Amino acid sequence: MRNLYLFFRKHYFYFLFLLLETVSLILVFNYNDFQNAAVYTWSEQAAGSVNSMFRNISEYFSLRNTNRVLTEEIAQLQSRMPEAFYKADTNTFFLRDTMYKSEYRYIAARVISNTTAKRNNFIMINKGRMHGVQSHMGVIIGNRLVGQVVGVSRNFSWVMSLLNKDSRISGKFRKNNQLVNVEWTGGSYRYGTVREIPKHFEIVPGDTIITSGNSEIFPEGILVGTIEDFTISPDENFNTARILFSTDFNSLGYVEVVIDLMRKEKEDLKNSVQTK
Amino acid sequence: MTLKNIIRFVLLVLLQVLILNHVSLGGYVNPYLYVLFILWLPFSTERWVLLISAFLLGFAVDIFSNTLGLNAAASVAMAFARPFVISMISTGADFEPGSRPSIKGQGMRWFLSYAVILVLIHHTVLFYLEIFRFSEFFSTLLRVVLSAIFTLGLVLLSEYLTIRKK
Repeated sequence: MRNLYLFFRKHYFYFLFLLLETVSLILVFNYNDFQNAAVYTWSEQAAGSVNSMFRNISEYFSLRNTNRVLTEEIAQLQSRMPEAFYKADTNTFFLRDTMYKSEYRYIAARVISNTTAKRNNFIMINKGRMHGVQSHMGVIIGNRLVGQVVGVSRNFSWVMSLLNKDSRISGKFRKNNQLVNVEWTGGSYRYGTVREIPKHFEIVPGDTIITSGNSEIFPEGILVGTIEDFTISPDENFNTARILFSTDFNSLGYVEVVIDLMRKEKEDLKNSVQTK
Repeated sequence: MTLKNIIRFVLLVLLQVLILNHVSLGGYVNPYLYVLFILWLPFSTERWVLLISAFLLGFAVDIFSNTLGLNAAASVAMAFARPFVISMISTGADFEPGSRPSIKGQGMRWFLSYAVILVLIHHTVLFYLEIFRFSEFFSTLLRVVLSAIFTLGLVLLSEYLTIRKK
């Protein structure tokens, strides 16, 4: 026993080193990967108060730089304000479709206000008569349907969202061009109703509905949604289905207004037939 | 003497955590001047005092830099090596009682080899323990060497500043 004590005493330097090193390594491997709150609370607080005290002082030395950064940020934010690009930002895009000799024009617009929770929802966009927007023009986002313009002022337009009781879209099944009507019957903004599906027509969940192009509002082939589920109603002449809209109406940022440059020609033709 | 060392301890920890921890050149080079405390302890320091104070030094730095145990392990390793390094590079002559290692007392060559070896030991333990994988072996080695150069520069600067003051 005494020898052991003498041994330790003689080599205490090594044992003390091993002990301290072990303690350090235990600390390293236990408290660095996942920070254990229990051990950290007091040390964090002490370190935090010292660091924040020093930070309070050192902040003054970087005020000039902080100011510069803040002014830059203000300038950047101001240039993003709607006011900053009313008149300047009238980008228009042309789509020349040589197959059908048809020509659509698109105007990018920013959504200023939008609702999805009401029964009749409208969207306000920051493009108006001045930018060439007229009533009864379609509004899309990417290749997905949003609604149609119902009111135009000098700088703004009111868009009747698809989520509206007056909104009725002439659509068709992409797989065989079967014509249907798409409406929104309230409730969730993600689902609508497809009406007038003929009895003989076989519906499969996942079928895609696109715009038919029969109206002058939307070009053909704009995505409306996909069939979620359907009901067979024996008493009626048509079946109905529930549709999942392709557009997420709750997250609209920028939309495009579709201008059909041949709309007048089409309407004139239609009127000439009807008057006879 | 003891009071002087305690003050030095506090000052070096504060300098390290408040200023030097925020100094990083190109993401590679961090100076760890707080090891100067261990380098400057008197020759006559008891060996257990050496180890314990080194542990406390590293632990204090760890608390403020959120790396619990890391600097403590490196400092303890460095303090452990110190007596061996001193006996290895010294020529057998006894040191003045109460004196500490310095350029003035032991000469530039002696002090430089003393400081280089100990700082390299400290930085090697510190950086490799921090990374703890061998896939970054060479980039860590580069960090060790560059940081050691930076630290040694500051150590020599401190040496000359204290010489002029006397």
